[in-house]
Amino acid sequence: MSGEGLIVTVGEGTCGIAAGAREVFSLLQKKLPQAVFRTVGCAGMCHQEVMVEIGDETSGTTHLYGLVDKKNIPQIVAFHTADGELPAEMLIRSSDQPGLEKGKYLARQTRIALRNVGQLNPTSIEQYKARTGYQALEKIIKGGMTPDDVIKEVEVAGLRGRGGAGFPTHAKWRFARNAPGDLKYLICNGDEGDPGAFMDRSLLEGDPHSVLEGMLIAAYAIGAAKGYAYIRAEYPLAVINFNKAIKDARAAGYLGENILGSDFSFDVKVKEGAGAFVCGEETALLASIEGLRGMPRIRPPFPAIKGLFGKPTIINNVETLSNLAWIILNGGPAYSSIGTSDSKGTKVFALAGAIARGGLVEIPMGMSVRELLMEIGGGSSSEHPLKAVQLGGPSGGCIPESLFDTPIEYAAINATGAIMGSGGMVVMDTKSCMVDIARYFLEFTQRESCGKCTFCRIGNIRLREILTRICEGKGEMEDLDTLEELSNSVKDASLCGLGQTSPNPVLTTLRYFRDEYLAHVCDKKCPAGVCKGLIQHTIDQSQCTGCSICQRYCPVNCITGETKKPETWVIDTTVCINCGMCAEVCAPKALVVQ
Amino acid sequence: MTTSSLEAVVDPQLIQQWIAQIGSDSSAAVPLLQAIQTEYGYVPRKAMDLVIQYSDINASQLFGVVTFYAQFRLRPVGRNRIKVCHGTACHVKGADRLNTALRQALDITDPEADTSRNGSYTMEDVACIGCCSLAPVMVIGDDVFPNLKGADSQRSLKKHAKSHNETLLGLEKAKPEKTESAPVENDEGSPE
Ligand SMILES: Cc1cc2nc3c(=O)[nH]c(=O)nc-3n(C[C@H](O)[C@H](O)[C@H](O)COP(=O)(O)O)c2cc1C
Ligand code: FES
Repeated sequence: MSGEGLIVTVGEGTCGIAAGAREVFSLLQKKLPQAVFRTVGCAGMCHQEVMVEIGDETSGTTHLYGLVDKKNIPQIVAFHTADGELPAEMLIRSSDQPGLEKGKYLARQTRIALRNVGQLNPTSIEQYKARTGYQALEKIIKGGMTPDDVIKEVEVAGLRGRGGAGFPTHAKWRFARNAPGDLKYLICNGDEGDPGAFMDRSLLEGDPHSVLEGMLIAAYAIGAAKGYAYIRAEYPLAVINFNKAIKDARAAGYLGENILGSDFSFDVKVKEGAGAFVCGEETALLASIEGLRGMPRIRPPFPAIKGLFGKPTIINNVETLSNLAWIILNGGPAYSSIGTSDSKGTKVFALAGAIARGGLVEIPMGMSVRELLMEIGGGSSSEHPLKAVQLGGPSGGCIPESLFDTPIEYAAINATGAIMGSGGMVVMDTKSCMVDIARYFLEFTQRESCGKCTFCRIGNIRLREILTRICEGKGEMEDLDTLEELSNSVKDASLCGLGQTSPNPVLTTLRYFRDEYLAHVCDKKCPAGVCKGLIQHTIDQSQCTGCSICQRYCPVNCITGETKKPETWVIDTTVCINCGMCAEVCAPKALVVQ
Repeated sequence: MTTSSLEAVVDPQLIQQWIAQIGSDSSAAVPLLQAIQTEYGYVPRKAMDLVIQYSDINASQLFGVVTFYAQFRLRPVGRNRIKVCHGTACHVKGADRLNTALRQALDITDPEADTSRNGSYTMEDVACIGCCSLAPVMVIGDDVFPNLKGADSQRSLKKHAKSHNETLLGLEKAKPEKTESAPVENDEGSPE
């Protein structure tokens, strides 16, 4: 039981750690003291965490296992050290058996931005270099590419900003390059405010050097000497790993004064965000770095001309940046050969919600929503079919199942009323209420509005109030018209993208799920059984076993009955708040929602 | 409220030290407040007065910033912090029930309050913490708890409280009156 000749790799991203990766790591280490251990970032198969890969140097095989825990570790150990049986159920990928069903999740993807995530130890600059790291930077500096050559290459690649707006990267850079001024700034936008997305977290955590190399390439192109990486405070591991990357890159001569002996100098500082969604907007982000309240300002002047501390500044998204080294090394044409005529390259999405295989996926542009959700994501996670997917978070909209054949490209997605956004995809099955979702997003944007524009500040509150009313069963028919009218006013009369897009979830749900609104308003029913004001929990005594567990979890003490006497159990509906705790803990499913 | 006993004692030297390290101009406002909050768990009024006194940041900017960003809190915190994720994925999967269950266990009944009366735990709602595929999730201290149902969250909290010598007022209270009707063997019973 020694583990000699084995290389054990454990995924330790935030999600892996949450699922218990550190415990698995130390248990394996105890059982396989002779093996070599490595940790890597999140491979994006979050639904399979904890993941462990075991490479065997003697036989030349590799096995990737998912859902590893305390209990099944002995099986893995027995298979690799003695003559135990292959734990086939946990196997995701194996060099002996190509084409396993679970492995399709990875096989169907095209990984450019995520090329290293889950493949290397994010705190090791050596491992990054071993995977062509910093070669793009060397190619530029030692191979004599001028800043204009770099911009040209990115133009040929057809790269558009991945932060949400999809603005052509090269065009933005050219403005900043041509702007007068000695000092220019390059900022990496790692604020990732969409409350249902984690693409940028995985990159910053799992492959910080590729983001840093992207920043160097962008800085070289626009002539920036200083940079900031603005990272959400909720991502502590990303901050730690990125700071380590900066330190190592500086020590290796890739960052700082006279990089690689040239006259190009650039240095980066990490700035931690302080929990404001609007600070993802570029002018608000600048205000935040300057130490002010993060409120957007009118553009023009664009940051490319007048940005941080009044100097020309480019703000690029994390994913945009992590594509750059690949583009420089492989050439613009290689990148633009992927995707569609409208949208080049790949896009990373964070799949979550009612999906069987959630996690990170990077796909070539042009793949249909259906293929992504069904083939890669494995369809619904429950027995209830999928109904819609929300793209672009609070600024985006939903795409109904009937439009799942829409190709994923900027123009086609916009035509549905949703937006490509930064990559959040929250999947909903028939047990999700679309009115509740619209209310949820409005509550979010209304809370996050900085308060500068009247329509955004007050209009969003009114929208939220109407939606809350509808969810409580107090809505009226005219509310639907008011929703539509006010939504359009908020869009028209707001300065920044927050207010301009906050009504999108309302407008798209009204457009595609009007019947659900009507059910709430006219029939006073929530078809999905979610809205608390429109449902009632009762006990089906024929199913009840009288175990009393519901009583113990009820926060308002509205359930009464005698132990082991099912016929005595009832809910006092005048007190019940329909929180759903009882239904959740009831083993025989005797609690029914009407 | 006994939470007043949770007020921090602010050390002026520490504030001066941070200003020297981080900077005293207006762009230092956010990082200074972050340093204060990391140390004390919230931003005590006294600490802000000291920043205004020792740095070039004026009162209106500092108060403007501290009230703008969701990260900063002006009220004292309990000895432990629970962050419940209310991002989209967690919301869809029933994060509300975690709040119900946790508040019940902590016996926090006032809707405005977020800290248990004995100062053991403070509850906060946060937006996505980036593990949406493991929704719903909560964080106690630095530990992330994935795939929770309401009842699971109570159980995790119970374990945490036990290892940190904290009392959960809500569960203390419930015990004596319900022992007859609730069979003990069900206590850890997982509602499958
Ligand atoms: C309310 C709001 C929030 C935003 N949040 C983010 C964000 O979290 N991350 C991001 O990269 N861009 C965000 N953006 C977009 C940025 O303003 C900007 O377009 C982007 O960072 C530019 O980078 P790119 O060209 O590489 O996409 C947000 C915009 C708005 C209006
Ligand atoms: S929504 Fe809760 S972790 Fe993302």
